[in-house]
Amino acid sequence: MKLSSAKGASPSHNSFHSKRRSRHIVPPFQSPDQLEPWSSVAVDMHNNTNTNNYHHHQLQNIHTSTSLSSDYSGAGEEPCATGDKWASRLLMECARALSDKDSSKIHHLLWMLNELASPYGDCDQKLASYFLQALFCKATDSGQRCYKTLTSAAEKGNSFDSARKLILKFQEVSPWTTFGHVAANGAILEALDGETKLHIIDISNTLCTQWPTLLEALATRNDETPHLKLTVVVTANIVRSVMKEIRQRMEKFARLMGVPFEFNVISGLNHLGELTKEALGVLEDEAVAVNCIGALRRVAVQERGAVIEMFKSLGPKVVTVVEEEADLSNSQHDFVRCFEECLRFYTLYFEMLEESFAPTSNEKLMLERECSRSIVRVLACDDEQDSGGECERRERGRQWSDRLKEAFSLVRFSDDVVDDVKALLRRYRDGWKLTQPLQDETGLYLTWKEEPVVWVSAWKP
Amino acid sequence: MMKGGFEVVHATLDMIQPYHEPIWEFPTTTTVISSIPRQSTVENRCINFDGNELSEWVEQITKQHIDDLSAAAETETGLQAETSMVCEDSFAPSMLGHFRPRKTVRSFLDGSCDDEELQWRNNELEDNQANNGFENGGNGRGLSSLSDDHGLSLITLLLECAVAISVDNLGEAHRMLLELTQMASPYASSCAERVVAYFSKAMSSRVINSWLGICSPLVNYGNVHCAFQAFNNVSPFIKFAHFTSNQAILEAFQRRKMVHIIDLDIMQGLQWPALFHILATRNEGPPTIRMTGMGSSMELVVETGKQLSNFAKRLGLSFEFHPIAKKFGEIDIAMVQVRREETLAIHWLQHSLYDATGPDWKTLRLFEQLAPRVITLVEQDLSHGGSFLDRFVGSLHYYSTMFDSLGAYLPVDDSSRQRIELYLLYREINNTLAIGGPARSGEDKFKSWRSELARNCFVQVPMSSNSMAQAQLILNMFPPAHGYSLVQGDGTLKLGWKDTSLFTASAWTSHASR
Repeated sequence: MKLSSAKGASPSHNSFHSKRRSRHIVPPFQSPDQLEPWSSVAVDMHNNTNTNNYHHHQLQNIHTSTSLSSDYSGAGEEPCATGDKWASRLLMECARALSDKDSSKIHHLLWMLNELASPYGDCDQKLASYFLQALFCKATDSGQRCYKTLTSAAEKGNSFDSARKLILKFQEVSPWTTFGHVAANGAILEALDGETKLHIIDISNTLCTQWPTLLEALATRNDETPHLKLTVVVTANIVRSVMKEIRQRMEKFARLMGVPFEFNVISGLNHLGELTKEALGVLEDEAVAVNCIGALRRVAVQERGAVIEMFKSLGPKVVTVVEEEADLSNSQHDFVRCFEECLRFYTLYFEMLEESFAPTSNEKLMLERECSRSIVRVLACDDEQDSGGECERRERGRQWSDRLKEAFSLVRFSDDVVDDVKALLRRYRDGWKLTQPLQDETGLYLTWKEEPVVWVSAWKP
Repeated sequence: MMKGGFEVVHATLDMIQPYHEPIWEFPTTTTVISSIPRQSTVENRCINFDGNELSEWVEQITKQHIDDLSAAAETETGLQAETSMVCEDSFAPSMLGHFRPRKTVRSFLDGSCDDEELQWRNNELEDNQANNGFENGGNGRGLSSLSDDHGLSLITLLLECAVAISVDNLGEAHRMLLELTQMASPYASSCAERVVAYFSKAMSSRVINSWLGICSPLVNYGNVHCAFQAFNNVSPFIKFAHFTSNQAILEAFQRRKMVHIIDLDIMQGLQWPALFHILATRNEGPPTIRMTGMGSSMELVVETGKQLSNFAKRLGLSFEFHPIAKKFGEIDIAMVQVRREETLAIHWLQHSLYDATGPDWKTLRLFEQLAPRVITLVEQDLSHGGSFLDRFVGSLHYYSTMFDSLGAYLPVDDSSRQRIELYLLYREINNTLAIGGPARSGEDKFKSWRSELARNCFVQVPMSSNSMAQAQLILNMFPPAHGYSLVQGDGTLKLGWKDTSLFTASAWTSHASR
């Protein structure tokens, strides 16, 4: 029963009395490529047999009274319970350490994050958990594989019912998606006014939740109801399997509305740039609208210009673009900056989810998990290995505008549309606002707690 | 987090004063309690009982599954030893050095095998148990939550993952955990799914710690204590521990004028007001009370001491409190300041939230040196020692039962329940499965304190009928319809859910005490 060697001079003496208690004695961590002794110790430890080497690797238990943050920040801040953003601090430090290849610091921070994180706790704990996953994947060079495992697991559990329930619930508690729908529909209706044969090319993963209101608007127009052809281009694999049900529902709904309707689905594309007029079935006498919801960010960065040119080649009357406001376009060159931006964006998003949903909501959990996959993709995956539209490198509205200006010119949203959007926002909790930047007029922004989060714009050739 | 004031739970507890002195007389010959029921005995009784709870089923499946897979793994070892393990699921060598899977269990079982295996096991169980609730969509009462493919596949994946970890196939384990963490929700209506969600999170945490080579924990005591209080409100286990121990202490203090209580992990001191109340109003007049409270942080212990002192003062008791912010197993006997004329009681409610006492052998030695009149011990019926797989099986059974007990009483989206599951139960699960065992220190821990005490200068004092009555009173606060079971046997009191015992309360006295 008696411990043999642990009674020797333990490193704990040094750490326990040092001023910065959190920075315990960090044992001489070896560089990542010499981890064999570590693995053998880990094995021994959980066999509970070998305590000889143990004290070299033991970090002192932290006995803190009130707060953890006061220990490791050294600034005596409030307890974690009051939400003092401990996660951001630890995560940023870890990102910097990774970038600097400071392996002992990396280990120390990953350990802390691992202990404190939980995907089922408060915002800080969730952010810590999902970003830790990405950092761990990056440190073990397993990002691509992890991402594949995560997405295929998610796809397995996906069904029409669950996906639909998720989207509808999200739309019920937050205008994050409906904002773009309302503005885009407004622009499309105005641009295609008077046309009799409409062809909307919907490049999105919204499960067609945008279109019922548009169909209704078409049905209630004063003049003759036009013919609508809807071609949905699906870029996320997870959505593919449910499109059959969606087709049935859309066709049924159009019948009810009395709108002559044709529905097509295009999926399995490797690159959006592969699309052509023929492949999309665009006919000469059609008035075309291209509707891009969260789709451009899935295009590889160097191909975005080509995709926009492709849109132009379709001869559309209007192009509507909705994207989320974050710049994650390069993680290769400046990892820390990209990490910081990623953290900023997802902190906003998670906080928004926290305030919009009930604490034990499964829908919120699904959305958070979706984020976790994106986070791994952006931070831990190499773009060269990318296949098939799962890129997720967001850019800001201004950046997209610069690209789109090469081929199109901006269409201002009419006052009617702006009013519609404002009316929509009034249906939700406080905190949501519409912003229209006047100076450079790049479209409309949805802001949450004064932060722009979603951007929508309309373009004409 | 400390709420001001305490409530004395039941005035009726005053009635339990009379007891029988003979319990406290030493028999002239030492009685050695040789057959203290171990965890496994309790489990065996459970298996034969004709119930359908998740925890039982898990017990069956786990044993079978692990036997199969371990056997398979063993045969694999011989084949794989020579060849280089470039299993595509292992971590990149650049970062992890030699994390090569020594045995690849997974390759033995492909998808089709899984179904066959499960089917076979189900059939065998049917034969053995004459229990027909195991088919998909079966009629088992508690199994309705598991009767769908989703639930079954989750548990199967969890078990396979545990086996992978036990044979150090961390790459494979990590892959399976990535899947599991996308599939199981801790807010599900099925307790089984919640359990899987937390277990997979705990194992992920362990995998990362394995890679890092660290097993120390980082504890947020605020969250833990808060959840502990919430648990105390919805579940009888803590009160059971408190009140049965108080009764035993009360009996030990009969006719003693000066008493000293050492609480090894006092937390917010919820236990003591009730005892003070009884001591203050006992027939022979109150004793002078000294209390040594131990805990994780001086600030918290001092605060607890203040609250208790105020309460004692209101009762007119002579009371002194000594805080010690160290682990019992790491202090010097001099720190405790036991006086000759005092009657000493030591109380210990064991848990797996963090390591409250430090090295076991030192704790035992200190017990011996202090020679208290009574040690009141409440143990979790969960073995903290053994290999990872042992701990996995044991804790899956144990915590499934806990989750069941909460789920029978609280609604699916109850935030109190979620708080308890996350900050209390998950914390324990995480520690139990972690490298270095529940104390997160890698030290050898005793498997059963009752056996250790029995072996080393302590004599068991059977829990009196009054203690049993106390326990019964507690249970009456939590209606029996919810399935709690109270068992008295071998001088101990056990409280559990359905057929699984979760906590055992016992009392001990030192030969050398007066």
